[in-house]
Amino acid sequence: MKLRASLWRHRHFYLFISPFFILFAVFGLYPLLFSLYLSFVKWDGLTQPTWIGLANFSTMLDDDILRQSLWNTLVIGLLYIPPMMILAFLFAQALNQSWLRMRAFFRTAFFLPCVTPMVVISIVFGLLFSSEKGVFNYAIVQIGRLLPFLHLGPIPWLNSEQWSKPAVAIMVLWRWTGYNMVLMLAGLQGIPEDFYEAALVDGATPFQRTRYLTLPLMLPTFRFCLLLSLLGTVYMFDEIFVLTTGGPGTSSLNFGVYLFNLSFVSFKFGYASCVAYSVALLLFLASLVVYRMNRQEGE
Amino acid sequence: MRNAPIGADIQRAVLYAVLFLLSLVFLFPFYWLAVSAFKSQAQIFAMPPMWIPHPARLTNFTEVATETSILRAFLNSMITSGGHVALALFLCSLAGYAFAHFREAPGNEALFAFVLGTMLIPGTVTLIPSFLVLVNLHLINSYWAMIIPGAAQAFGIFWMRQYMRSSVPEDLIHAARIDGCSEFGIYWRIALPIARPALSALGIMLLIGSWNNLMWAFIVLRTKDMLTLPMVIYLLQGEIRTPYGMLMAGGLIATLPLVLAFLLFQKHFIRGILSGAIKS
Amino acid sequence: MFVPSNPFSIIPTGRGLRWSILLFCTLLAGCAASRPVADAPPLTADALSRPGQVEGHIEVWSWNIAAKALQQLTPTFRRQYPRIDPNVDMTGANMQARLLLSLASNVGAPDVMQLQCEEAPHYLCTGKLADLTAVAAGFQKDFPASLWHNCVYKGRVYAIPWDMGPCAIYYKRNIFQQYGIDPDKIETWDDFIAAGQEILQKSHGQTKMLPMDTGALATMYQLLIQQNGGQVFDDNGRIAVNSPQSRQALGVLRRMLQAGICSNVKMWGQEFMAGLNNDTIATYPEAAWFAGTIKDAAPDYGGKRQIWGIFRLPALVKGGLRTSNLGGSVLVIPQQCRNKPAAWAFLRYALCTAEGQLAMYRSENLFPAYLPALRSPVFDEPDPFFGGQQIGRLFAGDAAKMNILNRTADWMEALGYLNQTFSKWADEGMTDTEALAELEQKLHRRLGVEIAPSSPSRTAHRTRARQSHDEA
Repeated sequence: MKLRASLWRHRHFYLFISPFFILFAVFGLYPLLFSLYLSFVKWDGLTQPTWIGLANFSTMLDDDILRQSLWNTLVIGLLYIPPMMILAFLFAQALNQSWLRMRAFFRTAFFLPCVTPMVVISIVFGLLFSSEKGVFNYAIVQIGRLLPFLHLGPIPWLNSEQWSKPAVAIMVLWRWTGYNMVLMLAGLQGIPEDFYEAALVDGATPFQRTRYLTLPLMLPTFRFCLLLSLLGTVYMFDEIFVLTTGGPGTSSLNFGVYLFNLSFVSFKFGYASCVAYSVALLLFLASLVVYRMNRQEGE
Repeated sequence: MRNAPIGADIQRAVLYAVLFLLSLVFLFPFYWLAVSAFKSQAQIFAMPPMWIPHPARLTNFTEVATETSILRAFLNSMITSGGHVALALFLCSLAGYAFAHFREAPGNEALFAFVLGTMLIPGTVTLIPSFLVLVNLHLINSYWAMIIPGAAQAFGIFWMRQYMRSSVPEDLIHAARIDGCSEFGIYWRIALPIARPALSALGIMLLIGSWNNLMWAFIVLRTKDMLTLPMVIYLLQGEIRTPYGMLMAGGLIATLPLVLAFLLFQKHFIRGILSGAIKS
Repeated sequence: MFVPSNPFSIIPTGRGLRWSILLFCTLLAGCAASRPVADAPPLTADALSRPGQVEGHIEVWSWNIAAKALQQLTPTFRRQYPRIDPNVDMTGANMQARLLLSLASNVGAPDVMQLQCEEAPHYLCTGKLADLTAVAAGFQKDFPASLWHNCVYKGRVYAIPWDMGPCAIYYKRNIFQQYGIDPDKIETWDDFIAAGQEILQKSHGQTKMLPMDTGALATMYQLLIQQNGGQVFDDNGRIAVNSPQSRQALGVLRRMLQAGICSNVKMWGQEFMAGLNNDTIATYPEAAWFAGTIKDAAPDYGGKRQIWGIFRLPALVKGGLRTSNLGGSVLVIPQQCRNKPAAWAFLRYALCTAEGQLAMYRSENLFPAYLPALRSPVFDEPDPFFGGQQIGRLFAGDAAKMNILNRTADWMEALGYLNQTFSKWADEGMTDTEALAELEQKLHRRLGVEIAPSSPSRTAHRTRARQSHDEA
């Protein structure tokens, strides 16, 4: 009965951590299992669920909209993640210079988008992107007048299937660059000062220092930012829900909004659970593979 | 540092110029939000754009205050965000403290690994059942629906445990026990005050998420008197005519608290975001 | 070094105690406060026996022009029910999702709600709508059977038809005149196709007869089977899509597509709308409410020159039914409504009186489903936009004769599968029989619904079974 005595002696430990486990049971574990069950039924949340076995999974295989939404997710991600990472790294590099003044101002300017309600941002960008009365198109037309050889004309940002994805990407770029900048700033500050001093002694140029010292040491940070951005793009919601609601057509529908629509606009609780589960598992496996590959590379 | 050559000066000037220009670009949407809040519908859609509203219009604010439930929503947002952050800080720090300082408790490490493991569950998978749980608890359309889910989250516990472990000395805890202080008392009176920096960083992180939360509010808040700011603003967009002046005024009201808080507590904010980053 | 603390140390003391108690109490208070009250009493036949006595505020959710029409109705309504205060909320952002969430959680639904005809059956069977049978059954004779049918579930009435979409062909007179086509001679779909080919030839391929979105063929298919009495689901909700009527409808669609007279443009897309303003498309087979769309989209092109006209829907065979229905909506009262008498008073005034329905027809062109309203001389008024044609009378003509098209709770989902299969049928050269057999199986698997015994797949199976039985 040594264990029991030990358990009793540490009862406060169990008491203190119990709220987490109670809440997890109610809002984590139970939903996780219930969602699994839902994957095999057809249910609208109002009437009785019907067991349909694997039909949800076969539906998924020829669900054009699901495929479209995953494709859109990929395209939007490709449109904004690379420029965002580069921009964030350059900002972080600049703000990491000890001689730079007004650092707080720059940091505030780049970071402020992250603390703003996305719904407000989306509405403001909706105005800015307006085809005929928007500031962006006004600017483009003015530039087009100054430099006629560029053949610039107004862009139907939110009204065309070609431009809705770039419009979303621009807004997301604006919103998340500051966040990634701070992450990278943290990474840069984690590089010991004497590395650079040693490099200076060796006579390395600033470019060489960046190429052979900073970049390799920042690799874990980059990888982390990339992972966050990828997940963020897949599950992105407010941005698209408010700015384009996925339109025109399904041209800017990403996975997050698609899943929300499936769950709470169409009320297909069963099918939505099935899709959510499958994509989450796929992402998990994919990141596991990437992680493994990274580790092997490192060895 | 040695003096930089003239070439470097030019480089620096260019860098300043570029940074300055880019920060203007990044601040522009805020500027547009602020000035549009003082414009009429026609002024908002004027071409060429009206850079400074003239005549400036204050009625957007009175209209949005009287014709929508935005004041009530402000209160609701304060209650739900405040409640969520307070409860989450309490539960996370309590559990974090326990994991950090009851090291001999059987199962400590296994339980902590389990807590970390729960971070792998994406919220989208549990969204529908969580809604149904709240329906069955009759908590839909109550503040609790916004406050409780996510209040005890793995990341918060992890964050508090790391801090408590490194910053709260074990000896101090023993001494307090010998003095007859209760276990909760040790946590409340000794560990918590020491962990204040970690608490504020985590709190800010949670606050941003909670204050701006649209999706969950859309799902669980059902009547006008319960809506939070993002929902009220979202619903202001009509199908036929969207009152942009009011929308911008409301947007400004929803944005300002966090922006002001950010300007006042920049350091904590940045640290809060960093705390969100150390997840890996 | 573990020093045992006193057994009561689990209970916090001092400030911690006060905080915890406060927290705990508010938690309890919060739980108690949000417990929903019991359902309001059901509607009884004498709910409105004393109009002056019914009172209270009611919240109405509706969208777009429908909401505007209801809003304009409130002053006259309040003359009869001065103590009822209806508020029409038209903040349209994602109204359907908010309604479903409110129904599912039993809190926050409006007192009166607009639903599309097509999605209404989904709501009828949920038990989340108020049973209107006691007060509404008497109005059955005043609505076309085709519409009333889809407001009833298991013999109980849960919705009242609002407007409907009787169909006709909108055509451009200038094009028809130029190529010598007489719209009065188009009596069947085959006549229609022949006319389309003539226009196509004489315009050297410039002018197509009609828009046809091969990604959304279910709309045209629906229009056709409601004309020839076909069904997707039989009266018992079983899959009946594999039927002679369906083959007939697909036959018409196939002949249209093969004749090359269809302009494959996305429904409501840019080219679809542009066709209203130029010579690329000669006709639009559409419902009564499409008149408003044309007027909005083509005020200069069509209005000044009065080029738009309408003629009756062609029949599938000579002498067949020349009407069908697309769209339309209903009003419902959610079960959680606290003031059902007031909600019913408003709903009844809006939909079950000629006064209410005609006011909405005049203000927003909502075509009344209430048959007594259709007798009004308003429908005989010539419409100047359509060259003085009495389009109201033409639409109203056969409205009462429309066939019933069974819609089940799965209707919207089923339409998705119809669209998928038919677009495969159109693009990949499937035969009609193959397409219908595949569709039948798909509906069966995806919806978990039985196939009707009349289906050839089941009769074939039975014949085979009988043969083997005989052989044995």
